[in-house]
Amino acid sequence: MRLALVGFGTVGQGLAEAVAMKKDLIYDRFGTELRIVAAFDSRTYAMDPRGLKPLELVARKQAGKGLGRTRPKSVAEMLRELDYDVLVEMTPTNIEDAEPGYTNIRTALECCRDVVTSNKGPLALRFRTLDELARKNGVELRFEATVGGATPIINLSRELLMAEKVESMKGILNGTCNFILSRMGEEGLPFEYVLKEAQEMGYAEADPSYDIDGIDSASKLAILANAIMGMDVTYHDVRRTGIRRITQEAVELAAKERKVIRLIGEVNGEGVEVAPRMVPLGHPLAISGTLNVLHMHTDLAGAITVVGRGAGRKETASAIMSDLVGLLKRNACLLNGRVK
Amino acid sequence: MRVNVDLRLKDVPGQLIKALEPISLNEGNIVGVVHNHDLVTGGRISVNVTFEYKDQRALDAISSAWKERGVEVVKMGEIFRTYAAEYLLVGDLTHAILRTITESIEGMEGVETMDLQYSLATGTADRSVLLVVSVRERERVRDIDSYLGAMSERHDFLLIRGMGV
Ligand SMILES: NC(=O)c1ccc[n+]([C@@H]2O[C@H](COP(=O)([O-])OP(=O)(O)OC[C@H]3O[C@@H](n4cnc5c(N)ncnc54)[C@H](OP(=O)(O)O)[C@@H]3O)[C@@H](O)[C@H]2O)c1
Repeated sequence: MRLALVGFGTVGQGLAEAVAMKKDLIYDRFGTELRIVAAFDSRTYAMDPRGLKPLELVARKQAGKGLGRTRPKSVAEMLRELDYDVLVEMTPTNIEDAEPGYTNIRTALECCRDVVTSNKGPLALRFRTLDELARKNGVELRFEATVGGATPIINLSRELLMAEKVESMKGILNGTCNFILSRMGEEGLPFEYVLKEAQEMGYAEADPSYDIDGIDSASKLAILANAIMGMDVTYHDVRRTGIRRITQEAVELAAKERKVIRLIGEVNGEGVEVAPRMVPLGHPLAISGTLNVLHMHTDLAGAITVVGRGAGRKETASAIMSDLVGLLKRNACLLNGRVK
Repeated sequence: MRVNVDLRLKDVPGQLIKALEPISLNEGNIVGVVHNHDLVTGGRISVNVTFEYKDQRALDAISSAWKERGVEVVKMGEIFRTYAAEYLLVGDLTHAILRTITESIEGMEGVETMDLQYSLATGTADRSVLLVVSVRERERVRDIDSYLGAMSERHDFLLIRGMGV
């Protein structure tokens, strides 16, 4: 299966490493390889129909040399001319207009290519458009890595729980906020102090608003509402309250009632909302640290909880690999044992 | 539905079983039994039983079984289950606003009790207040949610709800 990687930062490099690491496993199971035929970053690209060496790409990128030649035109234009099977889109999330991810994904789907992405913007803003385009062209759009890092929430719900009606979902979808709230509760520290600490440890960006104002959680929740509960919502439909105004006193009052404060995303019959909530100790959502968790209720299975790491180089690569394996399995079925 | 009854039994062995049997025979669920050996009146001992029953017909059947068996019912009272909904409010919560909130919630239908705790603001303008409201029916929580939601929006409070009842 020939891959075109767009975006070669933390996630792109993590994926290249995972492709190299799992080469034998993929060959044993599917009798084929994940061949990277093109890779793009913001300025440069490398291309070889016989396959690029994943670890060499990583080494070149880490040496600060870019991936190869300077890109003469937009990635989307180059994608139209390129021969590949799957676009793996890993450019930065943009919650204003979803670019450049939206155009890249759209271009691939229009050319009847499968797409795997870790980029939340296009799905949080234009889910239905992209989903319908993929269906119309008979290709797949997979996005496990957009929500919950290594937690296999989306594929679990869309594949193994396909026969279930998911009635409600509640979850913690942002590790940075969970880290901050856990530290405030466990150490009795003020918000500003813990935020600074999170920034120093690399858990929070210099501009932390994307995390602490609930933007990241709301994007992920919109994706889940569409993908798992069949809704038609965008990021803008999510009612959103962040964690900036949570005081030490509030955390202490909650603790008196044996509760912790967590930033919870919830989808139910009444709507889609991200807000801080009081969670009883011992509840499946009362987790600490940078973990992510999703708790759902379905008509047959009842309550199901999935907990795991929410972000990171290897963790996100794991989610992308699960999507690529999904495509390999589908190909194996379609071609009756023979795979592309 | 849950009920609490005071029964008087003859002070001879085997009476307690006799009193409890009709409950399980009618698909009731015994929640608690308090046996008062000390409280003997007119040769009878007193037992207090709490149980859940299926419907009115089952409760009637239990009562008539007691009558047949010579178990005396002194007092029977319905117990209502209550649901506790918790809220934290953070913001410029003046005494006047807190009074309005308290009075409005206490005046709502189905509200049993309301408990309010607050921190003394330490240096900041923002005060944190914890409200625990107990209500008779789950549906009432929605009324409180929307009242506090609207208040928080109007006065720019941060509202932190519990996980629902
Ligand atoms: N990091 C995580 O743990 C994680 C987890 C889940 C999902 N995600 C999502 O995955 C995506 C990638 O995250 P990341 O952490 O890898 O980000 P990153 O380290 O900032 O990497 C982004 C990559 O995209 C490239 N890029 C930027 N603009 C481009 C353009 N116009 N055309 C082509 N390439 C472009 C960058 O090029 P240069 O190298 O030249 O700057 C860089 O290689 C984001 O959407 C993120 O939200 C990340």
